[in-house]
Amino acid sequence: MARVNRRAVRWLRGELPDLVASGTVTPEAADAIRRHYDSRESSQANFGFVLLAIVGSVLIGAGVILLIAHNWDELSRPLRSTIALAPLIGAEVLGVFVLLRRDESPSWRESVAICIVATLGTAISLISQTYQIQGSFADFMCLWMLLSLPIVYLFRTTVGAVAYVIGTVTWLFAKAGWRFNDPAELCFWLLLLAIVPYYILLLRRDRASAAPTFLSILLVAATAIGLGCTAELTRANLGGVAYAGLFTSIYLCGMRFFPRGEGQRLHPLSLVGGLGIGVTAIVLSFEWMWHLPIASMWSMHGAPQAIGIAVELFFPAVAVALLAWIYGKRQKTAFSIAAAIMPLVAGLALLIANLAPPETRGDDSAYSMAAAIIFNVYALALGIELIARSVRANSVARANFGLLIIAALAMCRFFDSDLGFVTRGLGFIIVGVGFLVANVIFFKKRKGAA
Amino acid sequence: MKTLRLAIFIVVALVHVSVPASVMWNRERTLRHGRVWKFRTAPVDPVDAIRGRYIALRFAAEIAPPQVEVSDRSIKPDTLVYVSLKEDADGFAQIDQISETVLRGDNIVTAETGYWAQNAPRVHFPFDRYWVTEKNAAAAERAYIENSREQKQNAYVTVRVRDGDATLEQLYIDGQPLPEYLRAHPPK
Repeated sequence: MARVNRRAVRWLRGELPDLVASGTVTPEAADAIRRHYDSRESSQANFGFVLLAIVGSVLIGAGVILLIAHNWDELSRPLRSTIALAPLIGAEVLGVFVLLRRDESPSWRESVAICIVATLGTAISLISQTYQIQGSFADFMCLWMLLSLPIVYLFRTTVGAVAYVIGTVTWLFAKAGWRFNDPAELCFWLLLLAIVPYYILLLRRDRASAAPTFLSILLVAATAIGLGCTAELTRANLGGVAYAGLFTSIYLCGMRFFPRGEGQRLHPLSLVGGLGIGVTAIVLSFEWMWHLPIASMWSMHGAPQAIGIAVELFFPAVAVALLAWIYGKRQKTAFSIAAAIMPLVAGLALLIANLAPPETRGDDSAYSMAAAIIFNVYALALGIELIARSVRANSVARANFGLLIIAALAMCRFFDSDLGFVTRGLGFIIVGVGFLVANVIFFKKRKGAA
Repeated sequence: MKTLRLAIFIVVALVHVSVPASVMWNRERTLRHGRVWKFRTAPVDPVDAIRGRYIALRFAAEIAPPQVEVSDRSIKPDTLVYVSLKEDADGFAQIDQISETVLRGDNIVTAETGYWAQNAPRVHFPFDRYWVTEKNAAAAERAYIENSREQKQNAYVTVRVRDGDATLEQLYIDGQPLPEYLRAHPPK
């Protein structure tokens, strides 16, 4: 059963008297609709109570462990281990109860799943300390996450999935901090991939609610972090193209699978993708981004490097495939063409930067300058297209984002180029006036429409 | 469907409990039946001695004596090796043999190689962290640093080894187990 959209229910309740008055629905039918949503909402309200109960019991459990820890040294090792295992066994028994008797209640499933994951981590760490188990924090996180993964699927828990994604990123940070150039960091993608089937199931079950949106944004953040680490490990100069591909894919997915009308607010996924595209465009407009140093001793070699390159190229490939698919199907999907072609522009810029002779590829050259100019023109076009689209959609936020891209671009060029103060000053004034004029026009237009 | 999910969950729950329980079982067996080896700690950098809740241990035995037997003269750093131990005249562990091929016995521990020092690679034993309770962390740090200096090397650990499984048993300061030493020398 899908979760209740409270805003929609409030709207429907407000409409019911009118519907009854106009004879569209009978008073009995209106009462039945009210009763139906009352019962659905009250079952959701229980979630708060169960959550509070779980938080309370976790706090009591933690307090008991701390009290015992006060005399930890005085206890024998087997006794300490039993104390460490007891909460885990209790949580697992509760898990059996929930699967048997409360399987239909999302609040019970979410709460018990978190309880199992937390007590599992506590048991592993306490026993590791009791028996002086060696090994890094990364090893602990990896074991904890792998053991927690089945819980996400068995209890269909989004909170568990969120904890899992955060855990994998924590593992990646721990692994990256432990030693340089460790190909094992690439296992992050396998760990992250393991949660994707759950994400797809969640989207199929209830695409409109907040849970899949939140998980989507978290997955985007985790992927962006993972991509940064992979680019750093691989050192194949594909980072820019990879990020262009990632954010474009996200933007296109958001626009295609969560479509909104022209005047409506964008879905958070499209918004995150759009913001990512804007930031990436500005970052890639710097010339030093197109210095392509030859792989150093710190980079990976052989098969791990090939895997890293494949991961980096996967995202632009997905973006291009999505674009081709949307065009091929001739479906009416409104999206920014400038935003959608960023991986192609990044690919072209990379190609040009690669034409530089090997000895100058790592420094300023005519080729790196050409690549940077391409991205400056692209960022400008992106900003202008956003403003043009915003006029059509009458969206102040979109217009300001377009102007923000142009302003950021102007600011970056003014600070990293040798232009005189007068030119810089004039540039800022022009962009500032642009902001003001655009906003005045939009507000007037809106007032006129109202 | 529900029965299948329940069955899978019971298997998962058993795995959850058995992972820490198996660690506990193996370590208990090693601690009860393993051979005791004493490792003298090496002088430490006071800044680097304690990290959060554990003492970072360094051992004098990490550098092999001149007569050590090394199976391959081209062992690279970060290689997993089997180290056979023997006791020196004072009863402390020292390296007898370093081998890349599997060795078995209650005198064998696995280790990771570091850079070469004289005639053998330096080794890092897999028991280089001694966890302490939060209550004792500061006092333990002080005691360990005071007794692991160039002028005063008065700390060692006991490690139980059973068929290749090595478990850190106790940290001794001035001949006393750490908890006893801390009770006898309360912080002023």
